[in-house]
Amino acid sequence: MTLPAKAFQRWLQGIAPDASTADVCRVSGIKRTTLAQQLVRGKVSVSTVVSISRAYNINPVAALAGFDSYSVLAGPPQPPTRCELVSQISTADLLRAALARPAMDPLGRRGAAPPPLSPVPHASSVKNWVDAIDDGEVRHRVSSATGIAPQNYSAQLTANRLSPELAVATSVAAGVGPASGLVATGLITEEEAGWAPGARQEALDSMSDGDLTALVGDRMQALGKVLRRQEQDQAQTEKIWENLG
Amino acid sequence: MITILQWTTLAVCGLVALARVPSAVRGENRSLFGIFALMTLAILLSIEAPYVAIDQALGGINLANLLLRFVIFGAIFFLGIRVAKGFGATGTYRLITGRPGILVLLVLSALVIAVFFLMDTEGSSAGLSTVYAKDDRHMLLVEYYGAAGRAYPAFVGVALIPAMVKAIGSRLPVLVRVAALLLGVGGAAIGLSLLFPFIPPDWSAMRFVVNYTAVLCYIVGLALIWVAKVRRRKPLAGTASFTEK
Repeated sequence: MTLPAKAFQRWLQGIAPDASTADVCRVSGIKRTTLAQQLVRGKVSVSTVVSISRAYNINPVAALAGFDSYSVLAGPPQPPTRCELVSQISTADLLRAALARPAMDPLGRRGAAPPPLSPVPHASSVKNWVDAIDDGEVRHRVSSATGIAPQNYSAQLTANRLSPELAVATSVAAGVGPASGLVATGLITEEEAGWAPGARQEALDSMSDGDLTALVGDRMQALGKVLRRQEQDQAQTEKIWENLG
Repeated sequence: MITILQWTTLAVCGLVALARVPSAVRGENRSLFGIFALMTLAILLSIEAPYVAIDQALGGINLANLLLRFVIFGAIFFLGIRVAKGFGATGTYRLITGRPGILVLLVLSALVIAVFFLMDTEGSSAGLSTVYAKDDRHMLLVEYYGAAGRAYPAFVGVALIPAMVKAIGSRLPVLVRVAALLLGVGGAAIGLSLLFPFIPPDWSAMRFVVNYTAVLCYIVGLALIWVAKVRRRKPLAGTASFTEK
């Protein structure tokens, strides 16, 4: 959901009382026309607030918490669960970590140390995050709390997207830190959400060989399905172009 | 109004055919150029002024109308083959090119020719309106002649609809799905044209609207697929986000 322009103007007054709209755009790297359009429509996007917050060295989570619809973000950050941390590690990183474990080698040799984890978000971060915090009823609770149709919610997850409003609603419905969903969708960074540096790496290191290998298996299976589907779509498209293009 | 529609359709089809000349010269999908060229000729032959001019050259006994029927049969036959192949509709492809399809084509062609020579076809006029006005017997024969002429396009057009419906709901590129929608609507419109004898005479404008809807849908649909091919981006490049369905 977008933020009301009036509340946005009030907030902007508070953090940059003397700055003109042009100044704000220049500092935050937002296109002037984009901001002007959002103000005219009375709907300012959440990412605008995040960009401006960063430009003025304000924590975007704290900034968002000042708006009525995101007031749940207020208060001290809640640390992420281990499942959430692991869900934000890319499939390739998980696979490399698994290969580096001695248990993976029949001779018990330790593989080469994997490179540092790639930054959040990864290609299936949103879907993996929701799966990680889902007790089986979360989707249901989100749809009754926000009124979104379950199939629309699923469609967003399939596309690895989630609107900020839904990301926060999902966090709340699952009882995890309210800002976690915003990390998984890539709107804010781990650091901004108060995740400790290296927390993902620690969570990964604490996984048993069996758990890690099973997780990698699940992720690889899902990735295989996605890739195969893309290959099929591509083949079908090529065929159409070959015959009708 | 109808005249504008006719000449617009002719212009659109002629332009698309012209636009395909370079690729036909390069040897890409020549039959597609053929389809557009045949369709342009067919539209030209359905407009009164060019029809009369051409028919006078052919002896003034409405041979041009018979020619028109076979131009349409040819265009729709190749179009059906191409579309069925491209969209992977093997069942439809076999129906059109297999024994049943060829039999339908032969029987309807024989019928068209037979009924044509049963009539006294003196007096050039598009749509055989002067012949139609001769007497009750001719009125009936012209109806049969028209019905036989519309039956084959309707057969192919309707046979393609299931594959188009499937393509609309697929994950193919958006332009290709829009094209499938247009091809489906075109097929449905040709199918509807079978009901022409049951349309009250004072609704005759309906006939034109249905006919030209079909033709325009087919032309624009095929052109869109071509546009989609030209605009194609590299497959899978920049696929930053995806998850399994």
